[in-house]
Amino acid sequence: MSKIKELFKRSDLVDKPLSRLKYWSKQFKGSLTLLCLLGLFSFPLLTQNPYYLGIFINAAIFSVFAASWNFLAGFTGQVSFGHAIFLGMGGYFTAALIRYLNFPWFVSLLIGGVVALGMALVIGIICLRLRGPYLALATMALGVFLMSLFNNEILGDATDWLFFGSQGIDRVPPISSNSVVVFYTYLIIMLVSVIIMILIGRSNFGTVLKSIRDDDTGAEASGINITKYKVIAFMISGFFAGMAGGLFSMLTRNVAPAFFQPLYSFYAIIMTTIGGLGLISGSVLGAFVFFGLEWLLSDLWDPVFLFSIILIIIIRFAEEGLLRPALEHLKDLWDLLIGK
Amino acid sequence: MMETKIKTDMEKDLNKKKKRGLTRTQRQKILNIIIPLIVVAVIFLVLSLTYAFFQVPEGFPQILIFGSTHGAVVSLLAIGLSLVYGVGGVMNLAHGGFYLMAGYIFYWTVVTFSLNFFLGIIIVLISISLIGGASYLLLIKPLMNSPIGVLMVTFAIAYFFQALILLIVQVSHPLLMDPLIPGSIEILGVSFGAQNILIIILSLSIVLGVSIFINKTKLGKSIRAVAQDKEAAMLAGINANRILMYVVMISALLAGVAAILNVPKEYISPYVGWGILIESFAVVVLGGLGNLPGSVVGSFILGYATSICNYLIDPSFAALIPGIVIVITLILRPQGLFGKEEID
Repeated sequence: MSKIKELFKRSDLVDKPLSRLKYWSKQFKGSLTLLCLLGLFSFPLLTQNPYYLGIFINAAIFSVFAASWNFLAGFTGQVSFGHAIFLGMGGYFTAALIRYLNFPWFVSLLIGGVVALGMALVIGIICLRLRGPYLALATMALGVFLMSLFNNEILGDATDWLFFGSQGIDRVPPISSNSVVVFYTYLIIMLVSVIIMILIGRSNFGTVLKSIRDDDTGAEASGINITKYKVIAFMISGFFAGMAGGLFSMLTRNVAPAFFQPLYSFYAIIMTTIGGLGLISGSVLGAFVFFGLEWLLSDLWDPVFLFSIILIIIIRFAEEGLLRPALEHLKDLWDLLIGK
Repeated sequence: MMETKIKTDMEKDLNKKKKRGLTRTQRQKILNIIIPLIVVAVIFLVLSLTYAFFQVPEGFPQILIFGSTHGAVVSLLAIGLSLVYGVGGVMNLAHGGFYLMAGYIFYWTVVTFSLNFFLGIIIVLISISLIGGASYLLLIKPLMNSPIGVLMVTFAIAYFFQALILLIVQVSHPLLMDPLIPGSIEILGVSFGAQNILIIILSLSIVLGVSIFINKTKLGKSIRAVAQDKEAAMLAGINANRILMYVVMISALLAGVAAILNVPKEYISPYVGWGILIESFAVVVLGGLGNLPGSVVGSFILGYATSICNYLIDPSFAALIPGIVIVITLILRPQGLFGKEEID
């Protein structure tokens, strides 16, 4: 009886979001998150050099991209090896809308995301109704297909309003000429996207997705339309990946067919694996670790060589990723500090 | 009364079987061999008839020969990929990487170190099957119980091979080799490099050899047993892990043969693995995942489609064909041309 009362006591936290936030910020996870956010937001106080800010902005974009990949692979157990499809689709649409139709950037960003979502719907309906590695296969092939389609000079010359040729779209206007403003905008977009994905993962919908991942036959037997849920998850994932593509096109100020290359999908996989599969915040950490390492080591080694070795080692020996074990160690330290 | 009835029924059944002459599995086996041959023959016939009736001499012999050559090379790659998927359920994304490694090893032994041609071939085949076996033992086997892990690790291996090659050669421009055999042959009034004929004959005989190996030898029997039911095969005393290692080695070996045949005809560059992988994917999906005869037919269809596109439309569209093939197959007939399994 007393246990039930305790359970109900905690339910008042749900009714009062502010007190819930306060409670959360005093916990280990909450305080750590707030500390990281504080560090990120105060970074421009340290340096306003566009080069260093650029590393963080890149990391923020790829956090969204890797988190969207993680949302699909970690929650539903479906692997896409051509997630760059959505990066390219979102990038092309956002860039074209801003550059040629003078749309405001946030509207084009959302439209780019919605186009990627529609693309995910089509691919998902074709591939996800089948059992087997069809999604992995088809996304990978489609990525290369779209890259050669947009690279095609003949199509590019014939329909320069649709395919743009191998040069892509250049001189895409950035959000702002001030790199600090860009930094904060990207950071906030990243935070909102990641928080939305984490909340979806914790909702009932997320639980259904995890049940499909763990036992699809069991989920189907309990009356879940697994194809529908998988397709919806793929669409959500595609939407955020498309947004990441739009953000990336505004940062690089150029969209080229290389947006579709499998290398970007590979990057998302590396970041997710560094952080941990099924942990959205892990992808964010992975993205920052990735760009940090790339900045440190790019003079010494070819980054692809280095990261393929890192990826192989992590998948082979630490499939959980690095964030979860690291958090456990940190929590021990935290408990020691507050004297538990 | 009852017993006699049963007896007569049984006799009838027996008689029926005798009348049929062949059991169901035997017929199935024969069909498996005949259907692909018929399909290839029909394609060949249709192409020849178009040639005869519509008089499109321009490019037709090229389409025929280069399509067959391309299809023959892709069939080597595709049956390797299909075999590994059919036996172990592993979709090997590093298959293009095996081709890449074999191609560069061949280039280095024959051109850079100017060793004997046949010595080069032996070195390539031994080293590529060792690479395949090692990547199975070290990376794929420990992850077999996590489907996502296996897919991701093979993807990582593919990138590792590509980055390794880039690290060694430093340049990414295509490298060319001398043809396998010099000289040319004239067919239908157009002269071709004689190596095209050699490639077609060698590939087809190797494909035939692989199917005989799988259908007739003891190891082939165990491979089929593991493909049908892994647990039952293990209960019957077959070491399924070792069988799967052999299968990955055979698949890498076939990729190596394909590289030896194809690199002198085309070129080798560090990024060539992805195109090869996507083509093999398209073929495997078209023929049905894990279906070897289907893969062979699919690769010839893809080969002709590619060469038709090269000669009648534009070579720059050829890279789009695998994607189109995959999408159309998945929409219209997701189990592949010869697949019978329910996969919905």
